[in-house]
Amino acid sequence: MLKILLAIVVGLVGAVLLHLIIILSLPHFTGLDAYTRILARGDLNRFHLLSAKPDKAGLSVADPFMHVAVCSFDVDAVPLRLQARGSVPFWSLAIFDSASNEIFSMNDRTSVGGGLDVVIATPIQLTALRKALPEQLAQSILVEVPRPDGYAVVRTLAPRRSFDQAAQAFLQEASCQDFTGR
Amino acid sequence: MFRVPLLIALALSIAFGGGIVSTLYALNVTTGFGAIRLGAWEAFPNAQTAAADPYANPPRAGAATFLWGSAEGPPSGASVDDAGGGLAGGCSSPAGGKPPLARLWTLYAGNTGGQPFAVNPALPAGLNSWTVVRETDSSFTVTVSARAQPGNWLPLPTGNVSFRLTLTLLDTPTAGSSGLIDLSMPKVSLLGCGDA
Repeated sequence: MLKILLAIVVGLVGAVLLHLIIILSLPHFTGLDAYTRILARGDLNRFHLLSAKPDKAGLSVADPFMHVAVCSFDVDAVPLRLQARGSVPFWSLAIFDSASNEIFSMNDRTSVGGGLDVVIATPIQLTALRKALPEQLAQSILVEVPRPDGYAVVRTLAPRRSFDQAAQAFLQEASCQDFTGR
Repeated sequence: MFRVPLLIALALSIAFGGGIVSTLYALNVTTGFGAIRLGAWEAFPNAQTAAADPYANPPRAGAATFLWGSAEGPPSGASVDDAGGGLAGGCSSPAGGKPPLARLWTLYAGNTGGQPFAVNPALPAGLNSWTVVRETDSSFTVTVSARAQPGNWLPLPTGNVSFRLTLTLLDTPTAGSSGLIDLSMPKVSLLGCGDA
């Protein structure tokens, strides 16, 4: 009798452990988390526009008025510079690491002059940049990322159909390029 | 002779069975522990941070959309009306009130997964703060139903479809801070259920 009870207790402890392990490691196992899907979408260092229909990686935009573009990056070697300019009623940027934790976010009201100009770098690269800041980065916002890989999401709003073109142009002309210091 | 293997089998089956069943149950309860409820609306303001509730991980684990940064504003969804009854297409649901405290907002109706309904492109797919028609005191009422209504109207597919309203506040000053409690969110109610 006692042995059966012991077996049941051991079983319950095992159930709790299994429950915790599954919950905490679920995002890594599904392969469907946002970062994996973005990598499946295409190369790094390019803004990929999303549409209302799911693309081949399964990403889509649910909101009928928002236009979204995403760029995955790896700043291990050189920093990355995000730039976008255009006249849209609203734009916002969010930078996430590979586990989809937010590192940084901003929108057009918190920008310098209304344009998007952000440099993403590791702490070592940032120290080097700050020591001798190139002229082109005089107005840029420098963001430090603890891990070199992640992705950036830029969203813009097109409140009416007539704003669609400006919103698409804003995202299509946005650049997500390595910054080599020249 | 079979006692030991039987006991081990008992322990293992309880461990695996209990672990898997309880995990599935906990994940299917969509109101994660990090949710904030304001009337009929629920939002997850911390979903994108490292402090996110792991039970609410489905956005990271399997969803097809991105999380929102704190400068953008979390989308809040309403699946039930203010009285707690489920929102279904057989009724028409006016939602309205004072505008929420945000620079811009968008509102659309979708299925319970948050995906918008595929409606005729000639019909309004959603509303935002620029296109909504307001009263003289800048409050507004939006009617969500399968039949066209005057004023602000969001279409639904015919039939008794459960739907979810998603309100996305862009650039709200209280996003990501404890001040979210002060937000006045639109009231959602059910009116005129059944055919008439």
